[in-house]
Amino acid sequence: MYRLAGWAGVVLASLCLPLVACATDADHHWAWKKPQRPAVPTLSGPTPSNPIDAFIRAKWEAVGLTPAPRASREQLIRRVTYDLTGLPPTPEEIDAFVNDRSPDAWAKVVDRLLASPHYGERWGRHWLDLARYADTNGYEFDEPRPDAWRYRDYVIRSFNSDKPFDRFILEQIAGDEAFPTDPEALIATGFHLLGPDMTDSSDQAQRRYNTLSDMTDTTALVFLGLTLTCARCHDHKFEPLSQLDYFRFMAFFTPAAFRRDLSVATAEEVQQFQRQQEIYQDLTKTLRAAIDAIEEPHRQRIYEAKLAKLPADAQAAYRTPREKRTGGQLELIAETERQVQVSEAEIAKALSPAEKSRIDELKDQLKAFDAKKPAPLPTAMGLKEGSPQPPKTYLLERGELANKRDEVEPGFPAILLPGHQPTPATITPLPTSTGRRWALAQWIASPDNPLTARVIVNRLWQHHFGRGIVATPNDFGLRGATPTHPELLDWLACELIEQKWSLKALHRLMLLSETYQQSTIVTAEARERDPGNTLFSRMSRRRLEAEAVRDALLAISGQLNRKMGGPGVVLPANARAAGGARAIAATPDAREYTRRSIYLFSRRNLRDNFLQAFDFPDTNLSCPQRERSTTAPQALALLNSPEAVTAAQRLANRLQQEAKTRKEQIVLAYRLTLGRSPTAQEKDRVAAFLQDSPWSEFCRALFSLNEFLYLD
Amino acid sequence: MLPPVVDRRRFLRHAGFGLGSIALASLLHDDGLLASDAPVDPLAPQKPHFEAKAKRVIFLFMSGGPSHVDTFDPKPELTRLHGQLLPASFGPVKTRRGVDKNKLLASRRQFRKYGQSGIELSDWFPHLARCVDDLCVLRGCYGDSVTHPESVYLMNTGSVLMGRPSLGAWVSYGLGTENRNMPAFIVLPDPGGWVKGGSPAWGGGFLPTVYQGTVVKGGSAPIEHLANPPGISPTQQRKTLDFIAESNREHLASRDNDSELAARIAAYELAFRMQAHAPELVDLSKETVATQRLYGLDQKETAEFGTRCLLARRMIERGVRFVQLYCGDTNGWDGHSNLEENHGKLARASDQPIAALLTDLKQRGLLKETLVIWGGEFGRTPMSEGTSGRDHNPHGFTLWMAGGGVKGGVVIGSTDDIGLRAVTGKAHAHDIHATILHLLGLNHKKLTFRHNGRNERLTDNGGEVIYEALA
Repeated sequence: MYRLAGWAGVVLASLCLPLVACATDADHHWAWKKPQRPAVPTLSGPTPSNPIDAFIRAKWEAVGLTPAPRASREQLIRRVTYDLTGLPPTPEEIDAFVNDRSPDAWAKVVDRLLASPHYGERWGRHWLDLARYADTNGYEFDEPRPDAWRYRDYVIRSFNSDKPFDRFILEQIAGDEAFPTDPEALIATGFHLLGPDMTDSSDQAQRRYNTLSDMTDTTALVFLGLTLTCARCHDHKFEPLSQLDYFRFMAFFTPAAFRRDLSVATAEEVQQFQRQQEIYQDLTKTLRAAIDAIEEPHRQRIYEAKLAKLPADAQAAYRTPREKRTGGQLELIAETERQVQVSEAEIAKALSPAEKSRIDELKDQLKAFDAKKPAPLPTAMGLKEGSPQPPKTYLLERGELANKRDEVEPGFPAILLPGHQPTPATITPLPTSTGRRWALAQWIASPDNPLTARVIVNRLWQHHFGRGIVATPNDFGLRGATPTHPELLDWLACELIEQKWSLKALHRLMLLSETYQQSTIVTAEARERDPGNTLFSRMSRRRLEAEAVRDALLAISGQLNRKMGGPGVVLPANARAAGGARAIAATPDAREYTRRSIYLFSRRNLRDNFLQAFDFPDTNLSCPQRERSTTAPQALALLNSPEAVTAAQRLANRLQQEAKTRKEQIVLAYRLTLGRSPTAQEKDRVAAFLQDSPWSEFCRALFSLNEFLYLD
Repeated sequence: MLPPVVDRRRFLRHAGFGLGSIALASLLHDDGLLASDAPVDPLAPQKPHFEAKAKRVIFLFMSGGPSHVDTFDPKPELTRLHGQLLPASFGPVKTRRGVDKNKLLASRRQFRKYGQSGIELSDWFPHLARCVDDLCVLRGCYGDSVTHPESVYLMNTGSVLMGRPSLGAWVSYGLGTENRNMPAFIVLPDPGGWVKGGSPAWGGGFLPTVYQGTVVKGGSAPIEHLANPPGISPTQQRKTLDFIAESNREHLASRDNDSELAARIAAYELAFRMQAHAPELVDLSKETVATQRLYGLDQKETAEFGTRCLLARRMIERGVRFVQLYCGDTNGWDGHSNLEENHGKLARASDQPIAALLTDLKQRGLLKETLVIWGGEFGRTPMSEGTSGRDHNPHGFTLWMAGGGVKGGVVIGSTDDIGLRAVTGKAHAHDIHATILHLLGLNHKKLTFRHNGRNERLTDNGGEVIYEALA
């Protein structure tokens, strides 16, 4: 998204605003029609073996451009390793490729990287941007979502296993309806609940409506590239999307309950848990009863005494049954619950000496059974329905909950239906659910949907080539950018379906193209005829994203902990209280602090300083494309942050350990950070620098080299 | 301003904060780069849509929601009805903690008329009373939510939903900044804790990160990552930077003089300058004793907030576009119980520093170009909570502005007889934001940013400029 002229399409589209308002144009917009596989263009010269190259070169021929030179092997392996895994290649990997003279050397690298588990960590992160993923609720208390990470891991696993993209859609939109016994599919529905959520809202109906709107908006943006959001309050001003379309789309979601405690254990796990729980309960029944008999009266007394000190309204809140508490009462409780908590220490203090020794004895005995205690069963956030009978959905005037108008039935946006007539969707109720989301999921994941395949192949292209064929990846509407290569886009969309929705097949196709393997050199001819690189006449130089910068520092300095999955890692620096949000516990094991950035616990109200400096996106709305800024705070972060300083020291140590001579150490440093050996001139410069500067300073400097931060 | 092409280029080609435009331009020109390919500094000063009265903003945010009926909105009728239930004529009313059936609570403050304008203030503000003829008091403000975070977001970002760009971010986006060595939008949170809702209150939302508020603290490392690593001398830092610069220039020459790479080289030089500049900015030792006293730095109660008010003046003086101060810790003015003590303490902590800020800006000739805003996320109920507190009241509350093209010594709008609801001159956050942008020379309907297919703006679909407030 960096090159100006790449956006010519956007600029033109917005200048043409008044024109597109006319109905016939709106009806005939390319993106509303199902893509037909176009013929691969024939060129004047030999036809390239990869159809992508044929489509790209056809445009060059038209303006008289010739291919840019191929990038060097060192550049290529660095480019593709970051591109597919978000990590730098090792010197051994570089050597293996540089020295591999077999004709399929490049394909072997691509296949190896696609099979790497780090691929899912890299491409899963792109998806998490779209899904507005974070580990907390936001608003005042910003409470942790203890199970959000299961969705993050689900995404990583899905990419790694090359789950067919249509299945990936079905699971996220309607996993509970479609695959009710598959824990993966239940976790997938967490997609809908990832946005910010004010749990203690004073108006719980409004809270639910906010979440419904968020899932309606996000589903349309992410899967369909449709800016349905704008049609909530009024008919879309620029797209043929009506307010009726909006609420018919929302109606697919209205029967769902928003759950944070979905059991995602397998039947086997549940059985085993119950068996073990029974055993544990039986074994410890007498012991536990004996402990309770002594402790409970004290606990109750201390609790009551604490409660009595609270203001009357807070006391009333505690005495109100849980399900009847108002938002204000929930807030009161959240604010005061620490004041009424009874700690083990307080109870211990209250016990008589005789009671105390008895309790110690009992607890020691109980401890002996800890090994028999079953681990709690996994739960996740997600959607669930309880009945085939749907609740009513209404069109809301001005999008306001208080202004109910006509009842609406679920339906797909009319502009995407034959004849553009608003027709209710055909829905088959399931035994315990309405089947509405299942119908929506099938419609989106259908090869006949005009948008789905195009939208996802465009996202792949965007991340590989630096800019989408459609430069507005979440907006394929009339106001979105015009595709620079519409035939190629359609060809790729059809190919994805043909390849049974395998994303890895499409990655492979794109990466094996000569277009991808071009160098970033701008020839005089290219500067003149394709100044903005809209014709992809060279590779766009790209800056590493926030996570890639941090992960590379860790990898290069030998600190990276490659452990995958599990609850988010809370760095000590990100554990503090922030406004109404309480301090959270930092992950105790320091070895976790050097795990990949995708595993860092993401707080909505307290963002990580280092990642933020490098344009880590806001997590509250779907982000299809990251900003790429060049700022002084980035320079400061690479010079002075604890992340960079520690990495520099660790790299200096690594060099001493892994290379013998001073010269070899310098070479290794360049190979690790820049993926190449230093020139003679560079060796001299480093030697001069090291005369009166320590090695750690040399390493710190390396991280500030543009060549480290950019991919050629 | 911002025709589409410029708009695009600005957010595509970032090179701030504060990449010295001269340094950068000369770098690029020396290298013979095409002008069309040059990075656009997103924080370069921008011409407003029309001539502006205000050039800079200081937003004094009173977190927790100060009571208007005890500060800027006297209600004799509330005193008369003290101890009675809310008259039925007021109808149902929504509050956070359901105090609608509680008894009315008179203010224990004394109100008096001050200045030529005769605006009434409570006796909590003896210092501010002397500046009253500079104030434009909006007594008819109202909001959309009874909760803190939603209301904090509303007053700061124009939406109760979290994640929208804040006022300061929009202003930085619209106007850039004159100080190339500092962020355009600086936030000075209360050291006792952040406002409820946290950093999204000064966030950039979907705007490029460069526009979001940057937290600045006192001391030797006022900005994150500003200090050299432990044990690294300035001489060593310079040597390391020289090594970086030399390597990067060589790299640049072999990469077609890519302008983004050039911009990053300049960013390192700027970072080095910032390391010298920022500590100077927060060093108050150069201020005269008289100035320090004026802000109350010599008294325990006022020293902390006084320090931040003085920092705000120094920042404004040096061309920072938008400075936001939070007054009150995480609970702040949230006087659910014992409001007298809660508000009394915060009023004493802030009255003299705020008056000093207005006086100091005025005597330095800065007030006419600096818009000062005072307000919280909502007011408080005329009904009591417990025996001595008040609940949240978004239905009617007060915010004031001063300086920067605002009409001084006027009161606009009013609440009903007991201060429950705004009834005349009603001002929603969208109206207030539209007015602030107008004073800065920006048309709130034209200051837009395309996000996920929509031309987003601070005022969403609403906002009317409050023309009565303009000088």
